Amino acid sequence: MPDGVPVSRPLGSGAGELREKVTVERFLAQGREPLQLRLVAGGLGLDRVVPEAALNRPGLALAGFFRYFAPHRLQIIGKHEHAYLGHIGKEERIGKLRRLFSRHVPAIIVCRGLAMYDGMSELADRTKTPLLSTGIETHYFINAATLLMEDLVGLHEVVHGTMIEVFGQGVLLVGEAGIGKSETALGLIKRGHALVSDDTTMLRRDSSGRIMAASVEPIADFMEIRGIGIIHVPSVFGIAAIRGEKQLDLVMDLERPADAEPYIDRTGETTWYRDILGLRVPEVVVPVAPGRDMVNMVETAVCEYKLRAKGYHAARALDERVLARNAQILKLHKVEI
Amino acid sequence: MALTRDFELLNKYGMHVRPAGALAKLCQKYRSDITVEKEAHAVSGKSVLGLMTLEAPCGTILKVTADGPDEEDALDAIGDLVENRFGILDE
Repeated sequence: MPDGVPVSRPLGSGAGELREKVTVERFLAQGREPLQLRLVAGGLGLDRVVPEAALNRPGLALAGFFRYFAPHRLQIIGKHEHAYLGHIGKEERIGKLRRLFSRHVPAIIVCRGLAMYDGMSELADRTKTPLLSTGIETHYFINAATLLMEDLVGLHEVVHGTMIEVFGQGVLLVGEAGIGKSETALGLIKRGHALVSDDTTMLRRDSSGRIMAASVEPIADFMEIRGIGIIHVPSVFGIAAIRGEKQLDLVMDLERPADAEPYIDRTGETTWYRDILGLRVPEVVVPVAPGRDMVNMVETAVCEYKLRAKGYHAARALDERVLARNAQILKLHKVEI
Repeated sequence: MALTRDFELLNKYGMHVRPAGALAKLCQKYRSDITVEKEAHAVSGKSVLGLMTLEAPCGTILKVTADGPDEEDALDAIGDLVENRFGILDE
C-alpha cells in the first residue's frame, strides 16, 4: 500500500442497500401519528408512488397556471389555497379542483384541519387520488413532512456493527462476531459515553449528505454481552448512557492481529476509508490482542481523529520536525568543514 | 463459494429470544460467515440481537447464506436446528 494515499474499501457487501419506493400508503402509515394524518377519500390510490421528497403548494395551479407545475410531489392545501377556493364561486371551485385532481398527483393534503369543500371527496374517489387531512398548521406540516419524505426516500443499509458516541463523535465499531464490539462499547459506556445501537445498526444517508446511524426496532436500548446475556442499557447505566440517532464520523474495525496486519501503518500516515452508502467515511483498523485496552484505544483514536479534522496531523508534524533537524545537522556539518 | 438455503420457521412463535440465542450459539461454532435474510433485511447469524430485528413469525422463510471453509456443515446444522424447532419443547 503506498504511504499517505487514502485507501477505500466497502463496508459489508453493499447488497443490503435499499432505496425503496415510497407509496402514499407508506407515507400515511409513517406519518399517521407524528403528522396527525388521516385518509379522507381516494383510498384506491394509496398505492401511488411519491417520486419526490419535496412538497408543492398548488396555489398557482388552482388559479389556472400549470406551467412548471410539480405533479410528482404531494400537494398541500393550506389556509391560503383554502381561502382562495372559498373566495371563488362553487362551480368555479369544482372546476379548479377537478383540474388539480386530474393531474395524477400522488396525493392532496389539507392542512390545519380545514374543512373539505363539497365535491372534494367524490373527486378523490373518482380520480383515485388519496385525499388526506392533518390538524397541523401548514408551515409546520411542510417542514415535518419533508423530513419524513427525505427519510423514506434516502438510501438505507443495515450493518453488523455497534454505534457509540465518543467525545461527541459518532463511532461505528465493526468486526467479526465475538471480537469484542459490545464489550468495548460497554467499557465506553462506563466511561461516560453513550450507546446508539448495539450489534445491528441502521445507516441512512440524509439529504445533506451525512450518514446517520440509529438502532433498529425492537432491539433499541438492549445489548448482548457474552457471558451475561441481554441487558437493558438505560436500566443498568441510566438514561444518559443511550442516545438516539447520531451522525457517523468514524469507523473502527476491530480485527485479529493477523487480519489487521495489511492495514497497519505504524505511523498512522495512511488514511483508510470505508465506502458506505456512496460516501467515504474515515476508518481505523485496530488489532485486538489480549491485554490491549480497547476502550482507551477507541478514545485515543477519536481524539486523534478530532485533531486531524482540525488540521493537526501528528505523523506529519513529527516528520517535519525530524526533517528540520536533519537539515540543521547538515548545515552545522558543512560549517565545521 | 457461498452456499444459500431457505428455511421455514416451524416453531410456534417464530424468531424470538430463545431461538435467536440458540441459532447464534450454533453459528458461532463455524468459521464461515453466516447471513440470515428476510426479504431485503440481512443480519449476521452469529448475532442474537440482529436475528431479533428480522421480525419473523412462524411460517417465515429465512434465506441463510454461509460462506467459508465449513459452509456446508453450517447449513446442515442450521437446517436441523430449525427443523427441531430450536429444541424448544413447548413450541
